[in-house]
Amino acid sequence: MIMPFAYVKPDTVDAAIEALQEDNAHALAGGTALLVDLRNGVVNSDLVVDLKGIEELDTFKVDAEKGVSIGARTDLNAILEDKTLKTTHPVIHEAVSVLGTYQLRNRATLVGNICKASPAADMGPPLFVLGAEIVIKGPEGERTMPVTEFMTGVQENALEKGEIVVRVDIPAYQKAKMGYMKKQRIKGHDLAVVNVAGLADPGSGTLRICVGACAETPLLLEGMDQLYKEVNDIDKLAEEVSELAVSSISPIDDVRATAEYRSDMARVYVKRIVKRICS
Amino acid sequence: MSEYRRDIDITVKVNGVEYIENVPAHMTLLQFLKERLYLTGTKEGCGMGECGACTVIMDGKTVNACLVLTVEADGSMIRTIEGEAKEGMLTELQKAFVEHGGTQCGFCTPGMIMSGQNLLDRNPNPNREEIVEAIAGNLCRCTGYEPIIQAIEAVVSKKEATSLDGARSKSEG
Repeated sequence: MIMPFAYVKPDTVDAAIEALQEDNAHALAGGTALLVDLRNGVVNSDLVVDLKGIEELDTFKVDAEKGVSIGARTDLNAILEDKTLKTTHPVIHEAVSVLGTYQLRNRATLVGNICKASPAADMGPPLFVLGAEIVIKGPEGERTMPVTEFMTGVQENALEKGEIVVRVDIPAYQKAKMGYMKKQRIKGHDLAVVNVAGLADPGSGTLRICVGACAETPLLLEGMDQLYKEVNDIDKLAEEVSELAVSSISPIDDVRATAEYRSDMARVYVKRIVKRICS
Repeated sequence: MSEYRRDIDITVKVNGVEYIENVPAHMTLLQFLKERLYLTGTKEGCGMGECGACTVIMDGKTVNACLVLTVEADGSMIRTIEGEAKEGMLTELQKAFVEHGGTQCGFCTPGMIMSGQNLLDRNPNPNREEIVEAIAGNLCRCTGYEPIIQAIEAVVSKKEATSLDGARSKSEG
């Protein structure tokens, strides 16, 4: 049962910031996370602030040279259907294609997925390996932070009271190979048991591998560039990266899998993503 | 600056009929359709966006009505299962469900029809993979999904086969 609350739909970011400074106020975008929490009594709100009336949050720019900007209002199906984004940043397209269901993606937003900050968030690993920046506006003004610092814990993000994420900015990648893989129990709608994203740019010697659903937040593996430089044999590289992954993560037992299974799957999926992007 | 309201006046069109109502902010669209408008065709299966039994079409897009606040539907056009058959005449998709055994207990059916019809509205010629993707958010415990997929496929192929004078070819079951 959803407990009663007040509702407001501001026209501007400033009005939203003001409303969100009220006690027990919550931001509403797609509602596919908030409504579930309200229904299950995980959240009881006094004021729901609907962000969907704010034009400034409407950004959705995809440029092969300049990069991508995804505003807080952009729903996941709009992202999935963007043909340019599928070619410029295929890791995003891949992750969105296995997120939720068609009905959910008509409402759910990429920004919302990051703000909800589930350790298994499908958009986490892709944005981590892409080096995405989160643009935030609040009572103190505007600030930007790397997505890797934005997701701070299990369903915790770095937003202070009154702040909202306005958009996510993603750099352009001309020659990188990238991909996302999700281990699910079923083929349809399911949260990840383990998810991985990878980005390899031989030109700049960059290798980024991120493992999700195996720690409190998605985990960007350290020392990848060094390994990428030193290890030429792809099977050996995949082996070493996957062992590093297993020793870096701290998975738990939950309804979807045991920690042991997650470790095993992390090893398998990290190997697969390395072989895919480094070949 | 808009006020913070606990009860809000909304205008919403449901199956072509305009309703002007005052609703509590916390009422979901699903509750509104069933409890305020007595359109009980839309079902609550899980209430949390996992089963699709509450699927309706809002401004041309399928949504889980359990995850939409009624106030979010202010100014919107909603289609529910009740709006499909006109004057007792089932739609092609509904007839196909009957003919192919796409309905057993019927609980998932309204949501399935809305998802299936929305697919056909967007893409009159979907392949099997596209059909499966479109209904992947609608769970069924009875049919095993195959008759549902075949029902949708039957509508697709009938559209290709039907001649202009309206002669109906009997579908193979």
